[in-house]
Amino acid sequence: MSAIACERLTLGYGRREVVVEAGLEVPAGGFLALLGRNGAGKSTLVRGLLGLLPPIAGSARILGLDPWKDRAALMAKVGVVPETPDVPPAMTLADASAFCGRLRGTWDAAGVLERLDRMGVDARKPFGDLSRGQRTQGALALALGGSPEVLVLDDPTQGLDPVARRAFFREVLGDLAERGTTVLMATHDLEGVETLADRVAVLHEGRVLVQAPLEDLKARFRRLNAPAQADPAAFAPFGPVHLRGNGLGLEGTLAAFDADAWARAGLDPDWARGADLETIFTAMVEGGAE
Amino acid sequence: MRGTLQVDPASAVPIWKQIEEGVRRLVAGGALAAGDPVPSVRDLARDLAVNPATVAKAYQQLTEAGLLVVRRGEGTFVQAGPEGQRREREALLAQGAAAYAGLARNLGFARGEAESALERAWTEEKGGKA
Repeated sequence: MSAIACERLTLGYGRREVVVEAGLEVPAGGFLALLGRNGAGKSTLVRGLLGLLPPIAGSARILGLDPWKDRAALMAKVGVVPETPDVPPAMTLADASAFCGRLRGTWDAAGVLERLDRMGVDARKPFGDLSRGQRTQGALALALGGSPEVLVLDDPTQGLDPVARRAFFREVLGDLAERGTTVLMATHDLEGVETLADRVAVLHEGRVLVQAPLEDLKARFRRLNAPAQADPAAFAPFGPVHLRGNGLGLEGTLAAFDADAWARAGLDPDWARGADLETIFTAMVEGGAE
Repeated sequence: MRGTLQVDPASAVPIWKQIEEGVRRLVAGGALAAGDPVPSVRDLARDLAVNPATVAKAYQQLTEAGLLVVRRGEGTFVQAGPEGQRREREALLAQGAAAYAGLARNLGFARGEAESALERAWTEEKGGKA
């Protein structure tokens, strides 16, 4: 059974449909990076999956439960790191953890404090006095306090410096390894998520443009760097996006690379190098690949 | 092994494959010998900042290939003895040779020219070191 699944899920506010017929599937233990530009509908989709917004059409299931109808039962099994951490500014993380512990059946208060300590976040300081990075770390510690089966994060590293981002990703990683938690992370942090996610979904203008294992995307996409004398037409079968001359030659992205066909066409393997997630994402969103 | 393995996220080679090849190189070079422990999936995943499932996949491939062995409750260890090390070294050499042959062909050189370039490089390397 998939830990997270939705089918033709349409979400919106009033008459405005923000997410249209979205389909997602994350197997248990999987890590899905939900990518998209600002306004693509990422947060709306996250809200729908967390039962904060009723579906206009279609369905969603998390751990087999309907998030809108079974929200209370579901939230006992799901940890959430919201876009803006929502602990009251005057409350300390220690108090917030104790408060969560009273609401929830199972709560690892000692684990939360230990995690905060390891991350160097003062659990006795009012939440509002913590730095942005510490607030995010704190929200993560609280989200993991209930030993969730599913962790949902809405752009958690936004506005964090590189050191805080790295610390945050390591902490998520540690939990993954320990418990095999299923993760859905909406993010702009392509670099941070590149080595963590095993699946990627791209949301563009409210629609899921692509959903695939990251490995498949890496196999399909290449950075092209060919000398000036190369014939641009030779690249046509390989899904060229943004092909342009750069003085020394031709550069761009290939969205439908095939190593065998490339070799058969007698093209130099060095012209097509691996593409990072940022290149892949940009080509998909701007090039309308797929 | 920790600190000596590295992954390149931008590479077209899947990360699990990079880890697998990294371990094979360490075995080929003798840095890892039979009986040596390798880091746990969790530790290596944290060190490399990659998903634990990725490390697990690399270890699984290496176990199936007989390079690593899992001992319940103890951890994962290198199994490849001198025979395995020799095989890995030969495989690495064959890989490098294929890459060199491809480069020479792509640059339009004939086999004889490639061979003499290799010959020259070989002697220069030796001379340089002596």
